Amino acid sequence: MTGVLAAGTNTDSVAVETVFWILAVVAVAAALAMILVRRAVHCAIMLAVVMLCLATMYAMQGAPFLAFVQIIVYTGAVLMLFLFVIMLIGITAADSIVETIKGQRLAAGLAAIGLLVLLALGIGHAAIGPAAPPSPKYGSGNLTGIATLIFTTYVFPFEVTGALLITAALGAMVLAHRERIAPRPTQRDLAARRLASGQVVGDPPPGIYALHDSADRPALLPDGSPAASSVSSVLNPRTGTEPPQVVRPGEKPQLEAADGGEREPAPSAGSGRAES
Amino acid sequence: MTGTAAPAALAAHATLAASAPGAISAPPIEYSQLGPMLVVFGAAIVGVLVEAFAPRPARRGTQLALSLGGLAAAFVWTVVIAASRQVFANGSPGHTAIGGAVGVDRPTLFIQGTIVVLAFISVLLIGDTRFSPFVAQAAAPPGATAEQEGLAAGAMHTEIFPLTLFAVGGMMLFPAANDLLTMFVALEVLSLPLYLLCGLARRRRLLSHEAAMKYFLLGAFSSAFFLFGIAMLYGFSGSVSLAAIASTAASNTSNSTLLFAGIALTGLGLLFKIGAVPFHSWKPDVYQGAPTPVTALMASCTVVSAFGALLRVFYVAFGNLTWDWRPALWVIAVLTMVVGAVIAITQTDVKRLLAYSSIAHAGFVLTGVLAVSTAGLSSALFYLVAYGFTTVGAFAVITLVRDPGGEADHLSRWAGLGRRSPVVAGIFAFFLLAFAGIPLTSGFTGKFAVFQAAIASGETALVIVGVLSSAIAAFFYVRVIVLMFFSDPVPDGPEVVLPNVFSGTAVGVGAAVTLLLGIAPQPVLSLASHAANQLFVG
Repeated sequence: MTGVLAAGTNTDSVAVETVFWILAVVAVAAALAMILVRRAVHCAIMLAVVMLCLATMYAMQGAPFLAFVQIIVYTGAVLMLFLFVIMLIGITAADSIVETIKGQRLAAGLAAIGLLVLLALGIGHAAIGPAAPPSPKYGSGNLTGIATLIFTTYVFPFEVTGALLITAALGAMVLAHRERIAPRPTQRDLAARRLASGQVVGDPPPGIYALHDSADRPALLPDGSPAASSVSSVLNPRTGTEPPQVVRPGEKPQLEAADGGEREPAPSAGSGRAES
Repeated sequence: MTGTAAPAALAAHATLAASAPGAISAPPIEYSQLGPMLVVFGAAIVGVLVEAFAPRPARRGTQLALSLGGLAAAFVWTVVIAASRQVFANGSPGHTAIGGAVGVDRPTLFIQGTIVVLAFISVLLIGDTRFSPFVAQAAAPPGATAEQEGLAAGAMHTEIFPLTLFAVGGMMLFPAANDLLTMFVALEVLSLPLYLLCGLARRRRLLSHEAAMKYFLLGAFSSAFFLFGIAMLYGFSGSVSLAAIASTAASNTSNSTLLFAGIALTGLGLLFKIGAVPFHSWKPDVYQGAPTPVTALMASCTVVSAFGALLRVFYVAFGNLTWDWRPALWVIAVLTMVVGAVIAITQTDVKRLLAYSSIAHAGFVLTGVLAVSTAGLSSALFYLVAYGFTTVGAFAVITLVRDPGGEADHLSRWAGLGRRSPVVAGIFAFFLLAFAGIPLTSGFTGKFAVFQAAIASGETALVIVGVLSSAIAAFFYVRVIVLMFFSDPVPDGPEVVLPNVFSGTAVGVGAAVTLLLGIAPQPVLSLASHAANQLFVG
């Protein structure tokens, strides 16, 4: 299959060889960096470097179509989506690297090195013949060759890939989309609910009719009763708030009623409003 | 795909040079022989459309009918192809369809038929919404208010049905795939929906999420290894077709390093799906965390499908290299049987217990695979049928034994169950005896068949290990039976709910087939040996 994809003309073998070795070092270094860096964004960027190197190699092998697909689809679209997702999740998110099983990392590292050595030795010793000469039956462009394979030999797997895409879309819907169970309340519903609750206007904002500006003092309603909902539920509302006093000119305002006074060390601490 | 099919278009791509440049002559597409798979995939796609357009109250019934109907039609179609004079004319072993991508032969049809029937039973369990094991709103975080609202409103993800059908379609293609590229696509098609379904348990959702995550990550790794192996084999033979790999392996003996690396890596990918021992660590966690009907689907259909693919790859592509891969697979089979049986002893969770039992059974089937003969193939096929029905039935029983918070998974909760619900406990004990391979159950016939085939191929040592690990396995099965029948019932123990049509059918069919294959296995045995009479087409 890649024989077809790679069918093309190699112009200058020395230049190609040189560029290959440069790119190979860059690609392997970037791939290693991808798994070693901690930040997900850096991983994605390293992956982009690997993909661009691969695209260049495809182009050098005489597969310009594959090279451009690699750049446009993978580097351009898929990887940018990766970046979007990472940005959405949070750019600072880093995986926990606590070893839950003791010595796991060491064992995994040794096993990985072992597999690497085994594969490197195996592939290094394998006698890989020279590349197949460009096949004349697909003409100069490899686009026709790919089309031929997709629509003749591999037409069934090509079509079945559709099932994979549908599964992916469906799965994303199942995992991420929350269906609204109750209908969304309209403005009319909200108005009806408010009328039915008996309190048509909202609670007075803190400070109106208030004697104190402490956050745990409930606001007072026009009739002088405390509005319990004006205190955050995490606080313990101080009860026994008195109705507003009428302070006549010349009179000294009566500071700090008997209730709750023991909770305040300084008498003037919570009564700024009354003093002013 | 459009256009008229040339008569000799199978070889069309080879003669493209003769035609006009740029012209592609479409290959013939044998719709009638791809029918079972196309029906299942078609039903899945219609199911997606139902999700999009049908009103919510109508969805569950429609999806259930569609899934069951699609699977039933696929089974009938499979039988029609298997009986077809045209496909198997003059003792032909079958042929490859649609450009050589899919093999239509008797072993494949046998496996596909088995998968479809087992999937039918699993879909019955999935459709049993009385104590739905599936989450109401997967997007709601565990413990959130939205989750409670979803539960209160009786919400249900009916997308589960098309996802199951996609998985089943992939499972049917997996053993039929005649080139490694198609096989890889099928592997992904069958795996992706299963990763999703594993994470949709209603209760103990974090455990379920963990199971899905583990399965996904490890499955992705194993797929990558499989793909790496395909690349090696392509480098060796210049083709991904199984037959071409086999013929290159027969002619080219100089460059075997790539071939062996390819065998090892593709084998790894396949053995992971089976759950053979160095690659088994996902199985207990995933089986425990997944919703029980999905566990039933994975334990039966996925195992059958993966064994079908393993048999096809090792018999067709590496059939000439038996001496090379047999020792490695021998070690894996021994490890699988012994480790599966020994670790199962220490388990305290019923689903984990059955997961380790499934690992041990994978080892027993590998014994049949290692025989590398028609007898080995037919015994492996028979074993898969027997094990598949027993395991579906056993998981169906697990859905019936319930605590207030869900299924009673912990083994200690099962103590004394036999005194309180003798029928359900008796049926479960029967399934366990079948797993253990006691005579008069399908498990005995299956084990007898694979061991016989292995001895006939000179694998006596393997059979001795198999018998010994059967004995170890029998110990923990019997321990559960003793726990159920001879220990005092736990106070406020689990409630055994009466099975309804869905779970009742699953338990009943599982028990009936287990019994029938134990008492009168001859029809299925001869069907399996008839199917295996001619090996896979290449």
